Amino acid sequence: MKVRPMRRWSWKDFWLLTMVLPGAIWLLLIRYLPMLGVVIAFKDYKAQKPNTFWNNLMKSKWVGLKNFAFLKSPATVTMIRNTLLYNGVWIVLVLVLAVTLAVMMSELKNRFAAKAYQTMMFFPYFLSWVVASYFVLAFLDPTSGMIPSIQKSLGLKPTQFYMTTTWWPLILTISNLWKNVGYSSVLYLAAITGIDTTLYEAAAVDGATKWQQVWHVTLPGIRPMIVILLIMSVGKIFNADFGLFYNVPQNSGPLYPVTQVIDTYVYNTYANTHNLGMSAAAGLLQSVVGCICIVITNGVVRKIDAESSLF
Amino acid sequence: MNKPQRQQVVLNSFGPGAQALFHTVLGLFALACIVPFLFVIIISFTSEDSIRQIGYSFMPLSWSTQAYRYVFQLGDALWRSYFNSFLITAVGTVLSVAICILYSYPLYRKDFRYRGFFNFLSFFTMIFGGGLVPTFVVCKTLLGLSDNYAALIVPLLFSPFNVIVMRTFFQTTVPRELIEASTIDGAGEYRTLLQIVLPVVKPGIATIALLNALAFWNEWFLSLLYITKNMDVIPLQYLLMRMQRNADFLAKNSAMLGADAAQAARNLPSQSLKMALVVFIVVPIACAYPFFQRYVVAGLTVGSVKG
Amino acid sequence: MKKVVSIVLALALLLAAMSFALAEELPTITIMFHGSNVTDDTAVLEAVNAYIADKVGAKLEVVWGTWGDFDDKATNALLSGDTGIDMVFTCSWSADEYNTYAKNGYFVKLDDLIAEYGADLVAAIPESLMQAATIEGAEGMGIYAVNGFKDTATQNTWDVNVTLLNELGYTLDDFKAMSFYDFGELFQKAKALKGDSFYPFLVEPMVLERMVTGSIIVAGDSGSTNLLSLYLNQDDVSAEGPEGNVILNKFATDEYRKFVDKMHEYYEAGYVDPSLAVAETSNDTRTNTQKTGEYLIGTQSYAFGYEYSADVLDRGIEVAFVPCTDPYVDTTASQGAMVAISTASEHPVESFKFLALLNSDPTLMTMLNYGLEGIHYNLNADGLVEFTDERANYSPWTNGMGNVTILPDTAAEGAGFRESFKAYYAGAKAIPALGYVFDNAEVANEMAALGTVAAQYALALDAGALDPETTLPDFLAALDAAGMQTYLDAANAQLAAYLG
Repeated sequence: MKVRPMRRWSWKDFWLLTMVLPGAIWLLLIRYLPMLGVVIAFKDYKAQKPNTFWNNLMKSKWVGLKNFAFLKSPATVTMIRNTLLYNGVWIVLVLVLAVTLAVMMSELKNRFAAKAYQTMMFFPYFLSWVVASYFVLAFLDPTSGMIPSIQKSLGLKPTQFYMTTTWWPLILTISNLWKNVGYSSVLYLAAITGIDTTLYEAAAVDGATKWQQVWHVTLPGIRPMIVILLIMSVGKIFNADFGLFYNVPQNSGPLYPVTQVIDTYVYNTYANTHNLGMSAAAGLLQSVVGCICIVITNGVVRKIDAESSLF
Repeated sequence: MNKPQRQQVVLNSFGPGAQALFHTVLGLFALACIVPFLFVIIISFTSEDSIRQIGYSFMPLSWSTQAYRYVFQLGDALWRSYFNSFLITAVGTVLSVAICILYSYPLYRKDFRYRGFFNFLSFFTMIFGGGLVPTFVVCKTLLGLSDNYAALIVPLLFSPFNVIVMRTFFQTTVPRELIEASTIDGAGEYRTLLQIVLPVVKPGIATIALLNALAFWNEWFLSLLYITKNMDVIPLQYLLMRMQRNADFLAKNSAMLGADAAQAARNLPSQSLKMALVVFIVVPIACAYPFFQRYVVAGLTVGSVKG
Repeated sequence: MKKVVSIVLALALLLAAMSFALAEELPTITIMFHGSNVTDDTAVLEAVNAYIADKVGAKLEVVWGTWGDFDDKATNALLSGDTGIDMVFTCSWSADEYNTYAKNGYFVKLDDLIAEYGADLVAAIPESLMQAATIEGAEGMGIYAVNGFKDTATQNTWDVNVTLLNELGYTLDDFKAMSFYDFGELFQKAKALKGDSFYPFLVEPMVLERMVTGSIIVAGDSGSTNLLSLYLNQDDVSAEGPEGNVILNKFATDEYRKFVDKMHEYYEAGYVDPSLAVAETSNDTRTNTQKTGEYLIGTQSYAFGYEYSADVLDRGIEVAFVPCTDPYVDTTASQGAMVAISTASEHPVESFKFLALLNSDPTLMTMLNYGLEGIHYNLNADGLVEFTDERANYSPWTNGMGNVTILPDTAAEGAGFRESFKAYYAGAKAIPALGYVFDNAEVANEMAALGTVAAQYALALDAGALDPETTLPDFLAALDAAGMQTYLDAANAQLAAYLG
């Protein structure tokens, strides 16, 4: 990529260049050089003579779009639907809930309590999904989980949670909100505390009630933050949180209609076939779609509010 | 940098009814957020008998410190990996923060000639990657990242997301006049950055330091990829994940392995042992968090908003 | 003249130094094993290296793959042409699947090396195992890995809690006279005796399915959930099965329907722990319950001598393993543990010499597998191996290393164990389709799709958790939609060609 000369070159540019150098070298070596590997998505990758990676990469047969043929599977519709639907719904839910909680926290008179809530809400962010899955299991385990045990003691037939799809959209949603709402709301809270307080005073002078202040001052004040987080999550709408969909439902087969997402499908398929080309193809696809999503969202945002757009 | 204290200037606020409602909602949610961790602690102290009889429970039939005794029996391996976790996190965080600042500062400078190019160079990698095996080949054969601490640090040194955060930090908190004034004084670029700019963006540094520290602390996949012979360098997180993965593998392949799988499963840790290790992993980061928190909240606000 | 002398002298010195350096600098060969639990191998490797220096002319390094990490590590090393890994464990069920990786050029063809350096190896390993390793690889028909001599036949057994069986008023002979379809009365009585939270039927659902319907794994089939099946002749395993030598969709047979109907009945009656039906909890539940002896009948894929292992002895009950059929040699069992040489290796000759020695030399095999005498084990008065506590820091996966029949007997197994072991498996008969491996390359996409469908239904159906009345038709329809017929036809065409 050539940069067209704009100003006269100066020593300043040289010094600034030395600053970006470590990062740039890192990027070129560890991110850009391996990008040559995307050709694997279009090749039948096999060991050649001599068996070195670059030689294999160069000499393996081109197979066109054959590695993408896994998309023809009937499961494709389900997994794409699940990925998009869950992500879509969650983007909205996390946004609404996190903003609501943040507003509530900012309005608490007891600052100590606000601080305590905030610290606690950040906590789930530290736990991995593997650990979180034990917690869900503790409630739902068919043999010794809390809910089936209670049902049994009441003489009811225990629900087979890991066999029936009914509850899972709800369980996954709760799990996801549990993990992410606290973190986001802390971000929004920070944004709210950054709002210029004179705006509230002016609103109060105009006779605005507290609800009106929230609506007309707080929400517009955190709009840039909302937009940035929104663009980021829309860019990842094709990427599902693997641990959530794999560990939390214990990879239980009968739940696949509501738990299978692109990432778990690719993982399970790779575990079955160990086909490098297929997983490279899936990764490429997610990258391209993510790229398109980010560009589109960013474009829409720029139309509405140029200030808030990402680039 | 001190923000005006908001509660002093709020002219009216929600009434007691609304306050009570807020406390209830927030309190319940906050409780729900830490209950799992308390639960993990309880399970780590639950006796195996109790788990067998009534499963996981907030009120186990009997308590036991056996899991912790077993953890301590890991002895050297445990303390060694604990030490490694701290070492990797410390070195990695310092280096990655330095690289991040150095990379994002010129991107903030509108007068930097190659700004657009380096901006794109970093951003593009957020959405596009070369895949696992090619990256592995470059790191291992080209860079010699194998069986050493470097292998657990270098691949994580740079994060495009943190660069965006840091760059917007500079944009929102460092007035451009400050730089101009400094250059007029004849200060070099590095001196301007170190003496004039850095003190202003401390909260931003704390933020990316926390994000980086979390990333290094929780990392285990790099160990799986790059550590084959020298188990002296693995971090604690990998110790836990390895046990988890062993259990998963035996679950999937028990039919093929038959009697071998049953025998191997004997050596796997109990659930309570795994929980004990989780406690070991979470406690340091949970203790460090309040120290970061003071800066982080301020940091994330400014950093995530484009200037 | 002086000059000439000094030059000659200098040259001689240089040569001497060079040859000295050569003698010192043995090449390092690295082997990657599966599923070990080794935290300290320094002492062992020191002894091994002293032992093999002359015999092999190389220094050994070992990568101890753990169960969970081996697949990733091995495939990464092979796919990336890593010169740091010379030898790697492979078999019919690991991620670096023997037949596929040999065909794709990752493994060195060993035939020439065997002819030159492999006399001892050929003498130590039965001809049938060499046969089983002979496949169509990248370099044509040949042997691409050294096949380990271990439990080379498959045998599924009922794992019976005899203590409880007697308490219920039955003898082991009563049990042997029963079939899967008659277990109901046993379960009912056990449940009545032990209470509601007792689950008498402790199964590996997929293994149970094989035991009841007599199906055999087809090598090369979808990994985690098999779709295809050959059928065993339960009276004479070497004869053709009831359907002939044809591969069937295992879920579409009448036998399967009958099996899942009965299993669902057992499940609904509360005889099966519901956790067994969930992928990630199934095995944990089974092994944990097995340890405590809290079951009546289980399933166990059996290896000779398993009853002497600590695993069984510690249960605190009397256990009997009642075989469903005679042991049979199929492709999966006969390619169960092998070691291949990577084509990226810079020292294939030394690597092969090492493998040949490891599989034929009891001293080396014992050192690498059991550790060192006086540290990891001691010999008791009868000359049997008794492990010390140090063994906990050095426990490779015995069967993954190679020829286990040259190991000394342990005290737990008793004197003469290896001889009986060899005799037991020497007597095992081969199924007619032995050696057939399904090459799924042409139907890889169908296999991926089918694997997902099967993972959704098979485990839960086999465990009895789903009602076959409603779910089996859905399952079969989903398999058809995912291309089952194409997949099946490809497998059968290849089988017909293989059998000639």
